[in-house]
Amino acid sequence: MSPETQRRYLEALSQALSFHPDRSSIIEEYKGHLQALEHEEVPLTYEALTERLGDPDEIAEMFKEEHSVTESRLHWLFVFCNVLLFVGGGLLTLAYHLFDWNVLQWLFTRLLSIPTVIIVLYFGFWTLLGYEIGKAFGPKGLALLKKTYLIGIVPNLILMVLTVFNIIPRRWFDPLITTEFIIVCIVCTGLLYPVSLLACRWGRRMSL
Amino acid sequence: MFNRELVKGSTSLLVLQLLNDRDMYGYELVKEMDKRSEHNFQVKEGTLYPALHKLEKQGYVTHYWHEQEKGPARKYYKVTEEGINMLKERTSEWHRYVQVMNKLIGKHES
Repeated sequence: MSPETQRRYLEALSQALSFHPDRSSIIEEYKGHLQALEHEEVPLTYEALTERLGDPDEIAEMFKEEHSVTESRLHWLFVFCNVLLFVGGGLLTLAYHLFDWNVLQWLFTRLLSIPTVIIVLYFGFWTLLGYEIGKAFGPKGLALLKKTYLIGIVPNLILMVLTVFNIIPRRWFDPLITTEFIIVCIVCTGLLYPVSLLACRWGRRMSL
Repeated sequence: MFNRELVKGSTSLLVLQLLNDRDMYGYELVKEMDKRSEHNFQVKEGTLYPALHKLEKQGYVTHYWHEQEKGPARKYYKVTEEGINMLKERTSEWHRYVQVMNKLIGKHES
């Protein structure tokens, strides 16, 4: 393999990896690989080298896929989704009491009539959170799950305190808010972490 | 040669298995994989590195650089305790799977 072939391959790879913060370290690894190939003393054209190692663009795409899922992105994505659910619910409740729109009346009444479905879907959200974290980060995911849970649970606790201490008038959610329902919500909130932890462990199994 | 998806799905497990025997650098891993499989398990060599980076991100392997007298420093990969645990778990699962598949398709494990 000529030095020109090596240089061309490394340059193509370096260009394709321009998005990656560890580009120089990655290129160094490939450089070492190409130098090891030299000892085989098999003449390799650029095309043959690409066939053997893989196309630089395809390799960069694999790195991109791996790099796109970062701890920070996944963490904030789930925190944001959870906040969005609460803000959406809050706005819907407020709009229902402020405006006399038929569509709002219909939507609010429909949602209040299916609390079990909402609870199940919400558990689904936390299960997905745990699973995705475990799958992407394996054993390292447990620490991220704890961090995401601790921040993600804040809106839940705020709403619970506001409702339990009647700071938000309970009648706003009539006929949903009963003592039994509040107890169910407290128990479910307590179960969110164990459920997402189990899902995280399941995701970890799928990480390899 | 095997089905591409089958190879893709088992590369990480093989890498962990090889690293469980000794620390290796990328090229060495490729050669060892080729040798042990008697040239039956061939991957595009360059695609091994993204897989290694992913395993490192997940905490299954770690790396260190080793200076050489001649040539550039080599990046050696080393399996972690978590990697060993995962390897045991997945190897046992793999053996069970092969046993069941052999029974189902009526062949004996070689």
